Amino acid sequence: MYHFDWAVFWQYLLPWTALANPLIRNGLVATVVVSVVAQVLGVIFGLFAALGKMSKFPPLRWIADGYIWYFRGTPLLVQMMLLFFGLGVTHIYDFPDLHLGPLLITGAIQAGTLALAVNEGAYMAEIVRAGIEAIDPGQMEAARSLGMTSGLAMRRIVLPQATKVIIPPLGNEFNNMMKTTSIMVVISSGELFFGFTQVNARIFKPFELFIAASMYYLLLTTIWSFIQARIEGSLGERKGIERGPGMFQRIFSFGGGRGVR
Amino acid sequence: MVFDSTSPFTPSSSRVVVQAEKVNKFFGSLHVLKDVDLTVSKNEVVVIIGPSGSGKSTLLRCINHIEKINSGRIYVNGRLIGYYEKNGRLVEDSERNIAQQRSEIGMVFQRFNLFPHLTALENILEAPINVRKLPTEEAEAEAVKLLERVGLVEKRDKYPNQLSGGQQQRVAIARALAMKPSLMLFDEPTSALDPEMIGEVLDVMKELAHEITMIVVSHEMGFVRAAANRIIFIDEGRIIEDTTPDSLFNDPREERTRAFLSKILH
Repeated sequence: MYHFDWAVFWQYLLPWTALANPLIRNGLVATVVVSVVAQVLGVIFGLFAALGKMSKFPPLRWIADGYIWYFRGTPLLVQMMLLFFGLGVTHIYDFPDLHLGPLLITGAIQAGTLALAVNEGAYMAEIVRAGIEAIDPGQMEAARSLGMTSGLAMRRIVLPQATKVIIPPLGNEFNNMMKTTSIMVVISSGELFFGFTQVNARIFKPFELFIAASMYYLLLTTIWSFIQARIEGSLGERKGIERGPGMFQRIFSFGGGRGVR
Repeated sequence: MVFDSTSPFTPSSSRVVVQAEKVNKFFGSLHVLKDVDLTVSKNEVVVIIGPSGSGKSTLLRCINHIEKINSGRIYVNGRLIGYYEKNGRLVEDSERNIAQQRSEIGMVFQRFNLFPHLTALENILEAPINVRKLPTEEAEAEAVKLLERVGLVEKRDKYPNQLSGGQQQRVAIARALAMKPSLMLFDEPTSALDPEMIGEVLDVMKELAHEITMIVVSHEMGFVRAAANRIIFIDEGRIIEDTTPDSLFNDPREERTRAFLSKILH
């Protein structure tokens, strides 16, 4: 009969005791920062890949197609280890620690963030492309008949409208991103889950510790779903787009399809 | 600009705004425009009618190179549109040059195609500021004048989805005029409108007909009677009649013109 260690469980579940441990505290900060940075970079890579995929210039299309094909077709875990250990061992890039003022950005954090971003870019490319294609072609025609080049029309007319289509799936991508940062544990970068595995290595209470760890991810994604609902709500009010699912639905996925406003 | 009047490929007079010569257009294996010749002079108001699928909208869209042609030549204000000629062959022009040419041709669409993320005023300002590079205050003063002209100055801060169809189309006309075009193309401008809104759009177009060259694809006979100098009937990609409204209505040359007119005139 397993003896559940309530003392350890509460110590690592409750923030005021858990965050006293620098492994957990710094890990939580790293998870949030890495998620945001990787997502922002992922959107940028995705935008370029989407534009490349839709380009009139064949080599750009091939590059974009190849990128999307590879990074969606292979496991992120493998990509991350390839990037960190592979580039390291060949000395193409050793991922040295960076000191930015008081901040220490370890090589593992850099590699993990980059791998997440590049992988995310391949998924964002499809989301961005779908967003652009959702815009009535008449918009592009109208813009070009006013004398805009297609680049200007894309920037001023199509992308601002596509953004509204892209934001709901982007929110879901970010929710995934925060959870997926946990696989950085394989390259020992100091994010949240790595912190918990380190504590576990010392006291070996995996059941208690990993339940507590899961609760921290649940907290992050739940907070995010509130923020996401607010963002989509304000978008809907201002520019008259469809409302996303309600809060309750969003968290528990009850009810089918999109909410009715 | 100097034109060589002996060359078959250049317009003979600077009063010519549009000159199309032997234009052919295919959509896949479908031959949409067949050897179309058309000359439109300055200040003419030309209405194009024809059954759906006859190629009338396609012809209009070729004139500002939104559609590419497969052979022939289209000149606007004496310049080949969309192409330049190299050893007797057409080569597509650079995007920048094409955009510059299009900026002198206003186009009004059946579905308005206003930019939904911009207000009425911003819709009109967009191209003057970003294409003509006008200073904001100057562009805004012009835009407000245009809104006054189409009778919508009080709607300047409304988004398209807050306007009726007729109002949206009037804003779209003002948006096209903001580029100070020398030619306006109207692609079925009233066919997506509720009947009670057609009049307000036609009124704006009739006003405009006094001062600018217009090519209008439309079956609005009220507009034809009030404003058109010329009417063209297209069927199966060919120009069947090209004459004045009077002679078309009273004495159509071809039987199929008569048949088509009897359908649209009730």
